[in-house]
Amino acid sequence: MTTPERTAAERVERPVEPPPVDESVPAHTFEVKNLSIWYGEKRAIEGVTMDIASNAVTAIIGPSGCGKSTFIRALNRMHELVPKTRLEGTVLLQGKDLYSSNIDPAIVRRRVGMVFQKSNPFPTMSIGENVVIGLRLNGVRDRKFLNERLEKSLRMAALWDEVKDDLHKPGTSLSGGQQQRLCIARTLAVEPDVVLMDEPCSALDPIATAKIEELIYELKAKYTIVTVTHNMQQAGRISDFTAFMYLGRLIEFGPTTKIFTNPSDKQTEDYITGRFG
Amino acid sequence: MIAPKHILGTFDEALASLRNSVLMMAGLAERSLDRAMKGLLERDDDLCAYAIADDEEIDQLEKQIDKDGVEILLRFQPLASDLRRVVSAMKLSSNLERIGDQATNIARRARKLNQHPPLAEIELIVPMQGQAVAMFKDSLDAYVREDVELARAVVPRDHELDELNRTTGRRLVDRMAQDPEQLRGYLNLLFVSRHLERVGDHATNIAEDAVYAAAAEDIRHQAAAVPTEA
Repeated sequence: MTTPERTAAERVERPVEPPPVDESVPAHTFEVKNLSIWYGEKRAIEGVTMDIASNAVTAIIGPSGCGKSTFIRALNRMHELVPKTRLEGTVLLQGKDLYSSNIDPAIVRRRVGMVFQKSNPFPTMSIGENVVIGLRLNGVRDRKFLNERLEKSLRMAALWDEVKDDLHKPGTSLSGGQQQRLCIARTLAVEPDVVLMDEPCSALDPIATAKIEELIYELKAKYTIVTVTHNMQQAGRISDFTAFMYLGRLIEFGPTTKIFTNPSDKQTEDYITGRFG
Repeated sequence: MIAPKHILGTFDEALASLRNSVLMMAGLAERSLDRAMKGLLERDDDLCAYAIADDEEIDQLEKQIDKDGVEILLRFQPLASDLRRVVSAMKLSSNLERIGDQATNIARRARKLNQHPPLAEIELIVPMQGQAVAMFKDSLDAYVREDVELARAVVPRDHELDELNRTTGRRLVDRMAQDPEQLRGYLNLLFVSRHLERVGDHATNIAEDAVYAAAAEDIRHQAAAVPTEA
């Protein structure tokens, strides 16, 4: 039997289609203008201006203490949990001032979810309870609705197949990587607009890291993602835009490929090539 | 231009070692081409033999540079100018290896020509040699000094070399018709002309890689990208 001849074009494996993008979403989810933040007398961020693209992954990089975690916490007002903080400048979330006096921080944090460096499932709750706790705290009692949202969130976090038969088991019974995906599912369950991630893979092994990175790539079709990372290679793999911060200032911000092949600023070049200090 | 040192000293050492291998390979390719051309113009078979012998070392350096480049990519995951330096070093070595091959080819043709009485048409090769060798030297200088302007200036000179090759080819074909007795000799000169033209192509590639390494700009195939008027 002979194999039919194939043209060169037919031999080409089709690349994986990128996730579809909702064109009704505005180009920028956040517009940050001249943002400065103080913890007591210490200025942690100084005059940062940055527009964060919708349905894209933006990575914030920089040495420890450069203000990157403070910056992403300011995107859902979580930095206010630290006493004696002060903020100047504006942060617009889809055109609305996040720090307007009539905005409830609790609602902001529902629209802008956060995943932390160390997975933090509630230790006394089951896997299922962990995912829907946000909805329950918001007064949702409809069991059918909660079950649907539970499955949907766990599927989006690529965890459903691994835990669907163990939903009653404690969240802390899962592996580190699974716990982190559980926390992502918990964040997604309240259907936020934005997912902030503060070094989400720094405590994970390479396989768990790869699963989270794959998940981030898939999630950007629906969500705007801002992630802090110390891992340059990870920033290069997962992000569309990269911001380099140093000593509380935004030094350079642009497409990731540009930042990692030909940065405009010497400080960026020195940092990403390991010449700092 | 000397960049500040990396925090990781072994990274600096690995990059310096890679660069040294490229420079050594470039030096050998230059020497090999010079010996092959002298062997042709001065009818010196010994120089031809040296040129051919150089190729073995050039080939080994190409393998070494590829191995070292891959190891740097694996161990240090270079970024920005470091990444461009590694990528361009690996591309440069491929072009240097091909120039070494052209030098070997020229030396082999020269040895054949040297077995017969000299041909006056060898004079046609001299301006080609001047152009090809100068392009090669300038492309290497541009790479070493990260001189973007010098590198850019090399690229259009390849058209002049191509034109010289065409002119030389036509003259030699005419001579073949007029003097069929010497057909084999003219044919060997025709091949030498083509090999020098190829040296120019590789020098152009090196110049383009030098621009990429220094300025992160891809200047290849720019003529093709410009739409032509109907």
